Amino acid sequence: MTLASIAVRNVWRNRFRALMTVLGVAVAVMAFVMLRTVITATNVAVTYAAQDRVATRHKVSFIMQLPRRYIDTVRAVPGVRVATWANWFGAKEPRHPNDFFASMAVDTDSFFEVYPEMSVAPADLARWREDRRGAIVGDVLANKMGWHQGDRVVLRGTIYPGDWEFTVDGIYRATQRSVDRSQFIFHYRYLNDSLPAARRDQIGWMLARIGDPSQSGAISRAIDAAFDVQDVQTTSMSERAMNLSFMGMMSGLFTAIDVISLVILGILGLLLGNTVAMGVRERTQEYGVLRALGFLPKHVTGFIMAEAAALGAFAGLAGLALSYPVVQQGLGRWIEENQGATIPYFRIEPATLALAFSLAVALSMLAAALPAWRASRLTVTEALRRLD
Amino acid sequence: MTTAYREPEKGDPLVRLQRVVKTFHRGSEDLTVLDGLDFEIPTGSFEALMGPSGSGKSTLLNLIAGLDRPTAGKVLVAGNDLGAMNDGQLAAFRARHLGFIFQSYNLMPVLTAAENVELPLLLTRLPSAERKKRALIALRVVGLEDRVNHYPKQLSGGQEQRVAIARAIVNDPTILVADEPTGDLDRKSADAILDLLVRLNTEFKKTIVMVTHDPAAAERASVIRRMNKGVLQ
Repeated sequence: MTLASIAVRNVWRNRFRALMTVLGVAVAVMAFVMLRTVITATNVAVTYAAQDRVATRHKVSFIMQLPRRYIDTVRAVPGVRVATWANWFGAKEPRHPNDFFASMAVDTDSFFEVYPEMSVAPADLARWREDRRGAIVGDVLANKMGWHQGDRVVLRGTIYPGDWEFTVDGIYRATQRSVDRSQFIFHYRYLNDSLPAARRDQIGWMLARIGDPSQSGAISRAIDAAFDVQDVQTTSMSERAMNLSFMGMMSGLFTAIDVISLVILGILGLLLGNTVAMGVRERTQEYGVLRALGFLPKHVTGFIMAEAAALGAFAGLAGLALSYPVVQQGLGRWIEENQGATIPYFRIEPATLALAFSLAVALSMLAAALPAWRASRLTVTEALRRLD
Repeated sequence: MTTAYREPEKGDPLVRLQRVVKTFHRGSEDLTVLDGLDFEIPTGSFEALMGPSGSGKSTLLNLIAGLDRPTAGKVLVAGNDLGAMNDGQLAAFRARHLGFIFQSYNLMPVLTAAENVELPLLLTRLPSAERKKRALIALRVVGLEDRVNHYPKQLSGGQEQRVAIARAIVNDPTILVADEPTGDLDRKSADAILDLLVRLNTEFKKTIVMVTHDPAAAERASVIRRMNKGVLQ
């Protein structure tokens, strides 16, 4: 038996109050974990962005298109190993009109060479390349829609109106966290051949894999320089820089999340502080007895702080236990299935768990500091007289 | 802690108060409870302090127990001037020389009887096994060897007070101070507690100072002192 072990037992003296505090703090910890995971999950795209990939788009806006012939110029730029293009299709599955997923028309010969982290079985890939109406879909999307290889699928176009018929030739899987596993990839030729002559041979953006990632800046400049004298100019940047600029657009959202996180920490501190302060007040006479027996003020302080740390630890662990099913299994799965284009990987990082747990313990001890200091400053007779 | 404690020698008064003044500050007013009190308690005595509320008996008990300091004068216990000690020295003195028995027992509800008794020994360097052994001996002395693993809420009031007495004697103190030890008990339980105190005094030679309002309890002491307005009569 030690004072610390007694302090741990003291946490559960008022079981109902302790349970309510633990649950309250657990919910706050879970909310904190959720918000931090939004930030870390959004950063995944930057963290895992290929450094050897350069993206090129219309200089004015993402939504404006480029002539398809530009790809030949990009492929000729020194340092570019392979280049591909894609076009945003923006279709819906008629039975699930509210479910969003990315659908893109791509160059079948080069697309998966530029995206090696999207893994497709070679036989499926070969079949798809020969099938003009073939599609490769992500495993998460296939599971969600109940699609299997060989299934006939009809999508309804939003940018390109009408019902478009496809055959699922293969399922891709992710070998890296940053991959959106809910994409629908099909032949650019199928789209292009179906368009009126005036709308043909336009592409959304180009992507080039380069030999030396350190040269991404120079190669980006070289690509843009090649189109400077053309009617349509381009903006090129490494995939990481592109993702960072996208993140920069969301900086306001991240600031708001940080502020909400601080508010949650404040609530957490107040909850713990209230419980600790009530406990200290109720037990002042006991601290007086301890002092009478020969314990020093520092023992009383340590006793209270240990109890607060134990309360914070119980609450923190409860919060983590709550976070896993709610944030990771519940919300995380939903986000990966429905918002994969923005947040393809929504999982709780171990660092987030460690931070949430540490904050629960630290805030509990911080909240206990003042009551502990006050209790330790009472004289023995004052403490013994309390609640007498 | 460098203070060397001197054990009382045979014939020494264990407690000696010399011209002790104790004044409390209540806002802008000063209230003098003890005013030049001289008082001695011989080693091995069992003394009862009686008197009306506000007469100063609890103040006197707190001074003897080293829980409070005199405003003026000297409080000597076992030859040591308590007023000259700092807080740390006083705490160490209490841990070594004092055993406390409170009216409302003041046991920790989360600890078993044995653990409550072991509590003061946490301040010693005794190994855990030795602490447990001594706690069991103390519980045996008070007749609760069959209640060692019971929590306070599982004990009667009289049993709780006996656990508190075991806690008071576990470190073999020089003096036991008891503040209304039978105040919360029925007559039968109170008599059992008083029997135990008498036994601790006669058989274990413990010096006991007991504050009480109960004449029947005071009758069990070897000396009864009455206080009124800070003066011993």
